Amino acid sequence: MKRKTRENLETVLFSLPAVILVCLMMYLPFVLSGYYSLTKWNGISKDAVFIGTENFKSILVDSRDFTSSLWFTAKYTFVFVIFSNVFALMLAVVLTKKFRGANFYRGIFFIPYIMSMTIVGFIWKFIFTNGFEKLYEMTEMGVWNLSWLGDSSLVFYAVAFVGVWQSLGFYIVLYIAGLQAVPADVLEAATVDGATGSQRFFKVTLPLLGPSFTTCIFMSLTNGLKVFDIILALTKGGPGTASNSVTMQIYKEAFTNNNYGRGSAESILYFLFVLVVTQVVLKAFNRKEVDL
Amino acid sequence: MTLKQKRLISKIFMVVCLTVVAVIYIYPVFLMVVNSFKPFGEIIANVLAMPKEPDLSNYTYVIDKIKYGKLFCNNVIITVIGLIGIIAFSSMAAYILERRNNRYTRFVHTLVITPMLIPFQAIMITLLKSMNVLHLSGSKVGLGIQYWGFGVPMATFIFYNFMKTIPRELDESAKIDGASTFRTFISVIFPLLKSVTITVIVLDVMWIWNDFLLPLLMVNSSNETKTLVLAAYTFVGQMNTKWNYALTAMTLAIVPSVIVFILLQKYIVEGVVAGAVKG
Repeated sequence: MKRKTRENLETVLFSLPAVILVCLMMYLPFVLSGYYSLTKWNGISKDAVFIGTENFKSILVDSRDFTSSLWFTAKYTFVFVIFSNVFALMLAVVLTKKFRGANFYRGIFFIPYIMSMTIVGFIWKFIFTNGFEKLYEMTEMGVWNLSWLGDSSLVFYAVAFVGVWQSLGFYIVLYIAGLQAVPADVLEAATVDGATGSQRFFKVTLPLLGPSFTTCIFMSLTNGLKVFDIILALTKGGPGTASNSVTMQIYKEAFTNNNYGRGSAESILYFLFVLVVTQVVLKAFNRKEVDL
Repeated sequence: MTLKQKRLISKIFMVVCLTVVAVIYIYPVFLMVVNSFKPFGEIIANVLAMPKEPDLSNYTYVIDKIKYGKLFCNNVIITVIGLIGIIAFSSMAAYILERRNNRYTRFVHTLVITPMLIPFQAIMITLLKSMNVLHLSGSKVGLGIQYWGFGVPMATFIFYNFMKTIPRELDESAKIDGASTFRTFISVIFPLLKSVTITVIVLDVMWIWNDFLLPLLMVNSSNETKTLVLAAYTFVGQMNTKWNYALTAMTLAIVPSVIVFILLQKYIVEGVVAGAVKG
C-alpha cells in the first residue's frame, strides 16, 4: 500500500468513531427535529402528517405559551448572568486574600455546584415550604411568609435565586483563577504611583480580568439559557405558566401534551434563539478585552 | 493603633463576615442532612431543630426501598462506560485532526466540535425516537454509550487545543524508531495528555453522575436501570411529599459526590477551571 493512502486511511479510522457518534447523537436528532417540525405527529403513530409551516405559525401567532416562555428564559438568563457574576467576583476578591482556611471557605461555596441540580431544586422546595414557615413563626418577618413558589409574581425571583445559589461556586473559582493571574508587579507599580485600593481594583485588576469575564459571562449565559432541572424540581413551570422556561415548554409540549411535531418546531426556534444570543454576546465581549 | 494592628483588625472583621455568609450559604444543605435523621412528625413540628435522638430508620427504609447499592452501581457503570468512550474517541480524533492538516481534517474538526452549540433540549424529542430505533434506550450500557456522543465534542475541543502544545518532533522520532501511528499515539502521545485527561474526567464525571434529563428520558421506566438522582426524584411527589424519606434519598444521592470532592478538592477545582478556560 502506498504511504499516502495508508496515511489517509489512518486519518479516517482515527476520527471515524467521533464522527459516527456526533452524527448519531447530535446531527441525526437535529435533522429529524427539522423534519418533524413540519408535521403533525403524536410520537406514537408511525406516520407524521406533513403540514408545512403550520406549527411555526401556531406557536408564534396563535398561542402565547411559547413566546412567554422565551421571555421568561431571557429574563432569567439576564438576572442569572448579572447576579452570579457580581456575587462571584465579590466573593472571589475576598477569597483570594491570604488567611487561614481560605481553601475550606472555597470548598463551602463550591459544594452546591457538585450536587445534581434536581437535588438542589428539591432542597430549596423543602426550604421554601417547610423552612420558611418555621422562620416566620420564629421571627414574624413578612419575607418568610410570602409564597415564594406559589405566587406567580414571586416565583421568578425564587427560581433565579436558586439558580445563582447552585452555580456561584463555579464562577467563584473561575474568578479566583483570574485574580491570581493578575501580575503582582503591575499592582505594585500602581501602588507606587499612588493609587488607592479601590482605584487599583477598578483601574488595574478589573480590566486585566477581561478573559475571566468573557469566560464567566459566556458560561453563565449558556447555562442560563438551558435552565431546566431546577425549574422541574421547584415548580414544574408553575403556578400556571409563571416559571415556564423554553426548555420546560418544549418538554411539556412533547412529553405531556404529546405534540411531538409542535415540540420539534419549538426546539428549532429555541436553537436559533440560543445561537443568536450567544453569538451577539460573544462578539460584543471579544471586542472589549484588554491585553497586557 | 499601629498600621499592623489596623490591618489585623480589618482582616479579622473580613473573616468573621465571610464566616457568616458561608454558614448561611451552606445552611440549606445542612438542614437537608439534619432533617433526614428525624421522623416525619418532628420535621413538620420544627424544621430547624436538631433531632431529638438521631433516628436511622429513614436510612434503613430508603436504602432498602430504592436498593441503594444497586443504584449506586448503576451510576458507576453508566459513568465509567461514558468516560472510557469519551476519552478514547476524543483523544484519538483530536490527535489525528491536529497532526494532519488537510481539507478532510479541517472539515471533520468543525463537524465534531460544532455540536457544542446545540442545547440538549433542542434535540431531546427526536433523540428519544432515534435511540429507540437503535435500541440504546432503556439500558445502562445504552445510556453510557449515548454520553459518548454528547461528551465527544467538548472533549475533542479540549484535547485538540492541548495537542498543539505537544511538539511534533516526538511523533517524528517515534516514527523513525519504527512505531506505527497507533503505537505512537498509545505509547508516546496519550501519556503526555495526562493533565488534560484529568480535566476531561472531572468535567464529565460531574456531568454524567448528576445528569437528570437524559436518564429521565432513557432509563426511568425500570427500577433495574434507574440512577440515584432519579430515585430521589420519585420520592418528591407533587402534593404531600414524605419529606423524611425524600430528604434521606437526596442526602444519599449527594453523599458520594461530596466525599469525592472533599478528598480531591484540589484536582476537581483545577479541572473545572481548566475546562472552562479551554472550553
